[in-house]
Amino acid sequence: MKQADINSFEKCQTQLEGLLSEITLLAKKSPNDGVNKFKLKFINEILFKANNVLGKAYKPLESFDVFDEDELPSNSDVTFIISQYLNCFEKLRADNIVMEQKYDGNKYVSEWYWVIGNEKSTIKTAPPKKIK
Amino acid sequence: MSIIRPRLNDYHNIPITQEEVDFAIPFVDEDIPLYVDPFLMWKSPSMQDNSLHLVVTNCFNNLGYLISKGKETDALEILIRASECDEVGLGNSKTKAGKRIGKKLAKKVLSQFTSIPQIIKNGFIHFEEIQLLVDNFSKDRVSDIACNFIQSFLVDYTIEQSEKYGIPIEPVKLENIYNSKTNSFGTEETHLPINPETKSPILLTPKRWLRHIPWINTDDYFNDYYIKSIHKEGDEFPDKIKLLEFNRQNYDIVQAYTAIKEKQFENCKNDPLFTQIPVTSVKRKVSTITKLPTGKTDNADRKFEDNICQLMASLLYPHLDFAKEQSRTDSGVLIRDLVFYNNTSVDFLREIYETYSCKQIVFELKNVTEVTRDHIFQLNRYLNEQFGKFGIIVCRKTPPKKIFKNTIDLWAGQRRCILILDDNDIKLMAQVFISKQRNPIEVIKKKYIEFIRSCPS
Repeated sequence: MKQADINSFEKCQTQLEGLLSEITLLAKKSPNDGVNKFKLKFINEILFKANNVLGKAYKPLESFDVFDEDELPSNSDVTFIISQYLNCFEKLRADNIVMEQKYDGNKYVSEWYWVIGNEKSTIKTAPPKKIK
Repeated sequence: MSIIRPRLNDYHNIPITQEEVDFAIPFVDEDIPLYVDPFLMWKSPSMQDNSLHLVVTNCFNNLGYLISKGKETDALEILIRASECDEVGLGNSKTKAGKRIGKKLAKKVLSQFTSIPQIIKNGFIHFEEIQLLVDNFSKDRVSDIACNFIQSFLVDYTIEQSEKYGIPIEPVKLENIYNSKTNSFGTEETHLPINPETKSPILLTPKRWLRHIPWINTDDYFNDYYIKSIHKEGDEFPDKIKLLEFNRQNYDIVQAYTAIKEKQFENCKNDPLFTQIPVTSVKRKVSTITKLPTGKTDNADRKFEDNICQLMASLLYPHLDFAKEQSRTDSGVLIRDLVFYNNTSVDFLREIYETYSCKQIVFELKNVTEVTRDHIFQLNRYLNEQFGKFGIIVCRKTPPKKIFKNTIDLWAGQRRCILILDDNDIKLMAQVFISKQRNPIEVIKKKYIEFIRSCPS
């Protein structure tokens, strides 16, 4: 990954997380209700960017690109798809970060960094979600 | 022409919805069940409407002037000629031909100009008060008199609207057009749309003037004013004749009532030609439908049809105007249909209009456990005759694959499109109607797209 890729990754991931929390609220209230065209337009815009960031290898579903507004996707359809995307985002991130252990004079602390061109960069990131 | 309950625009293939136009779209073979309420012209913020109300009032008060000058015969003739206006086609008549009032009633109306001191002096401000003074003077007379006195304006309005929407106009001779300069009726040659069946001229009326009952009316006067403010407890209730007599003797009370109605003018709204059922009612109807058993147990089929009918008319408004529900018998089985006008108001409707020549959309209602091939063929036969090649079956459960395949085969063989909606689709339509996130018509579009995607390419 390049620095620009990391930027668009982080932007897109945050946007997807925002969408998920918003649509989850709606889905809890009425899971089968249709998502309006206004929201759908922007959800699709973000999904389009997400597809570019993930590339073919990390794209969660082969047969899905964006929502078709004529198919009247429901709130729960949208949350289902976005959580798939967020999982794949996490997978991509986990594959592109490394840990560094440092001694701070008192104890060892682990810090995680993005990898750029097979080398550890100085851009800090969070640990992979599966590793606690 | 085999359109069900045709409207003028359907006759000329002009796809407009009632919602988008300013006038009430006239039916070809029946009246619009609403009346012009002059009070709506009076309360309108538009100066044009106010002036028209003034014209109506002046023309009516002119009758009093004629009487005071001893020209009772002229006044009688004007009033009788003004009492019916067939061209506007408002009211409950099925035949569209009304009758003028008789001399006796006309004399009674005119006698108010000589017997009530306040009217002798000042005339009427709201001539619909006549309903409170004279028996048998009903709301349709108020409406027709108002329309006749402003007929010249309605002619201009009709021409303007016809040109705007491309409704064909033809040369006609109006026999009964009122001239407010000479205060007399005369004839005029002009251009107007004509009724394709009867060839008589049609005048369009603005929707904003229409109500089911006038704002000032006898029932409202009696129930909300007379009983509450005038009637003394313990007294006998007067019958209508006595009440009208009382009103004539106590015109100041009628004036006080009118003054109250004038103050409440903000509550006076025109009645829409179609009213959607409220959200709570939609929820109730969907829950009733989903709980109904299939088949005919406890009249379930009838209840299903009644509920679907009201639900669909509301859910699909304003994209589709409801035309009629009708029953027909096919091989001894009674079938109920809902018919909607296809106004091509959205892209999907335009597509079915162009691809399947669908001028009216027919919904066939089936409260059955499983849709069978026979049901499909029944609707298919029906589509041949009238509705173009597009129809919808509303049933209870998702049809089996072989039935869906059957509809696909019909498309492949004869280019006919039959969609099948079930309880889940109805629920989704109701859900999007309630949440207002999408339009219920889009659920039908979704079904159509699913159908087309399954068709062989």
